[in-house]
Amino acid sequence: MLDLILTPDFFFAILRITAPILFATLGAVVGEKAGVSNIGLEGIMMMSALFGSLTSYWTGSWFVGLLVALIVGVLEALLMGFFAFNLKTDIILTGIAVNMIGSGGTLFLVKVITNITEGKPLASTTSLITAVNQIPSWNIPLIKDIPVVGDVLSGHSILTYIAFLLVFLTWVLLYKTPLGLNIRSVGENPNAAASVGVSVLKVKYIAIGFSGLMAGFGGAFMSMYYAMGWSLDMVAGRGFIALAAQAMGGGEPLGSMLSALVFGFAQALSIKVSSKGIDSNLVTPIPYLVTILGLVVFALVLRSKVKRQHSAAALKEAEKK
Amino acid sequence: MNKKRSIIFSLVRGTAAILIALAVAALLIFVSSDGAGAGEKLAQTADAMRQLLIGPAFKSSGGISVKNLSDVLAAMIPIVFTGLATCVMFSANQFNLGAEGGIMLGAFVASMVAIYAPLPPVVLPIAAILAGALAVGAMMLIPAVLKAKLGVSEMVNSLMLNYVVLYFIKYLLNSHLADKSKGQIMSYPFQAHAAIPQLIDNGSKLSWGFVVALIFVVLVYLFMYRTRWGYSIRMIGINQDFAMYSGMKVAAVVILSQVLGGLLAGMGGGIEVLGRYTTFNWNTLPGYGWTGITVAILAGNNPAFVPLAAFFMAYLNKGCNLMSTYCGVPSQLIDILQAVIFVFFAAEQFLSGYRQKLVVKSTQEELKRAAQEAQEKGEVK
Repeated sequence: MLDLILTPDFFFAILRITAPILFATLGAVVGEKAGVSNIGLEGIMMMSALFGSLTSYWTGSWFVGLLVALIVGVLEALLMGFFAFNLKTDIILTGIAVNMIGSGGTLFLVKVITNITEGKPLASTTSLITAVNQIPSWNIPLIKDIPVVGDVLSGHSILTYIAFLLVFLTWVLLYKTPLGLNIRSVGENPNAAASVGVSVLKVKYIAIGFSGLMAGFGGAFMSMYYAMGWSLDMVAGRGFIALAAQAMGGGEPLGSMLSALVFGFAQALSIKVSSKGIDSNLVTPIPYLVTILGLVVFALVLRSKVKRQHSAAALKEAEKK
Repeated sequence: MNKKRSIIFSLVRGTAAILIALAVAALLIFVSSDGAGAGEKLAQTADAMRQLLIGPAFKSSGGISVKNLSDVLAAMIPIVFTGLATCVMFSANQFNLGAEGGIMLGAFVASMVAIYAPLPPVVLPIAAILAGALAVGAMMLIPAVLKAKLGVSEMVNSLMLNYVVLYFIKYLLNSHLADKSKGQIMSYPFQAHAAIPQLIDNGSKLSWGFVVALIFVVLVYLFMYRTRWGYSIRMIGINQDFAMYSGMKVAAVVILSQVLGGLLAGMGGGIEVLGRYTTFNWNTLPGYGWTGITVAILAGNNPAFVPLAAFFMAYLNKGCNLMSTYCGVPSQLIDILQAVIFVFFAAEQFLSGYRQKLVVKSTQEELKRAAQEAQEKGEVK
C-alpha cells in the first residue's frame, strides 16, 4: 500500500486534484467571511466549465476560454446576489436554484448551442477540447531538474499554480487591505459596519462576485484541463466539498487549503486504489466520507478548544479573587 | 392587510413568477429552434409552448387526454413525498438536502425486501415500504445528530451523504445483487405479489401509492399544525432562541424533523419502485429530492399545498417531455424553468412595491372607516 502512495506521481496527482477544489474553497472562504453562504459554487463551476470549453473550442484559444469562464462565473454569482440581496431570496435557496441550472440546465444549453453551431446536438463537449486548446502546463525552470521534487511540483497546469498562489493573495486581500477589513466586518456585524459608513450591499456583492470568479477558475480547470471537455455533472460535488473544506479550515485561507489538500489526497487515493482492480464504486465515495469525518473532527476539536478557553478564563477570574 | 388582499397578493405574485419562467422558456425555445426566419421560429416556439402548456391535459384533437393526465398524477407520487419531507425539515429551518439520496436509499431497501423477503401478499409491499422508510430515517440520524450535538452543518453532511448512498448502492448492485443474465445492471425481479396495485391500468403506473401519498399529505398537515411536536418544529424554524427559552427541547426537535423527513422520503422511494417497476435499476440519483425542494418552496412549506405544487411540477415536467418528443426541444428545459420559478417564489421582496400599495390601500380604508364612525358618533351626540 505504502509503495503505491510514496511515488512522485501520487503527490503530483494530489496537487492536480486539489486545484479545482481549492479554487472553490477560496470562493467559499471569502463568501463566508462576508456572511454570504454561496452553496451555488457547484452550479457556477458547471456553467463556467461549459462556456469555457465551448469558447476555447470556437476561438481555438484557451486564454479566451478561461476569460469567458471567469466572466460567466462572476455574472452568475452577481445574479445570485441580485436575488439574495435585492429580492431577499434566502441565499441557500438561491444556491439550490443555481445548482439545478448547473445540472440539467447546462445539458439543455449544450444541446441547444451545439445544435446551432455544430449542426447536431451533443451531450458533452469532450470531443471539442484537445491538446491544442487545453490550458497549458508549465515546466518550472531549474525546479524541474531536481529529482522527485521536480516531478511533483513541475509540469502542472498553470491554473494549479494560480490556485495555490491565490491562497496567499486571498489572505492578503482579507487581512492586509481595507476591502478585506470591510468584508470581515460585514460578515461579523453588518449593522456595525453600516454604522461606520461601509456599504454592506456593495461589500456583499464584491464577496459573492469573488466567489463566482473562483468558481469560474474551478470550472475552467475542470473542463479545459482536468477532464478535457464538459460532461453532465462532471463537477461531481466539488463545489460542495469546498464548503466542507471552508468549514474544516475554520474559514481561514491557509487552513482551508490544508483541508482541501486532505480531500485531494482522499480522491487521489481512491483513484490509485481503483486502478488496482477494486470496484470504483467502493472507493469513489471516500472523499465524501472523509468530508463528513473531517467536519466531525473539526467540530470536536473546536469544542474542546472553546471549553479549554472557558476553563482558562474561569481560572484567571478565580486567581484575581 | 386583510386576508382577502393577502390572498390576492399571493396569487398575483405566484402568477407573475410563473409567467416570468414561461417567458424565459419561450425565449430559450425561440433561440434554440432551427427555423429559417423569425416567422418560422415564432411558429415553432408557439407550437412548442402549446405542447408544454396544453399537451399534458388535452389531445391535439381537442379532447381531454386521460393517458397524459394519469401520467402526470403518477409522476406526482415521489415528489409529493420528497415535497412533504422537505416541508417538515425546512419548517424547522433545517436545510437538509438529503431527500435526494434518501429516496434512492428507500427505493433500494424496499426493492431488496420485495425481492428476498419470504412474506405473504399485502404484508410484503407494506413491509418493504416500511423498511425503506426506516432505513432513510436512520440515515438522516447522521446529519441530524451531528447538527444537534456538534453544530455541524446538516446541509454539507446531507449533500455528502447523497453521494455516499449513490455509490454504496451502485457497489452493492454491481458486485453482489445484479441479475447477471440481463444486459443492463439491474436487480433480480421483485416477487410478483410485492407490486402495488394500479388505480388505472393504462400503463401510466398510477398506483394506489397515489392515494397513500394524499393520505400522508393530510397526516403531515395534521402533525405540523395540530400537534405539540409539529408546533415545536415550526416554532424552532421561526425563532430558535425563543423556542429554547420557552423550554422546548431544541436538539430533540432538530433531530425529529430530519428523521421524519427521512422517513417520508424513504417511503416515497419504496412506493415509487413498487408501484412503477418490477426490478431495481437506478444508477444515478433520480432528482426527485431537488424537485421536492421546489415543491416545498411553491407550497410555502405548508403540507396542505404540496399536492397542488407537485401537480404543477409534474405537469410542467410532462409538458417538457412532450415538447422534446414532438418539437425537439431538449427536455432538460424543465431544470431551468424550475429554477426560475423557484427563485421568484422564494424571493421575499419580489413585487414588494405592489404589496406596499395594497397595505397602504388597506390602511387608508381603515382610517376612512374609523373617521366615518367617529363622525357618525358625533352626529348621534
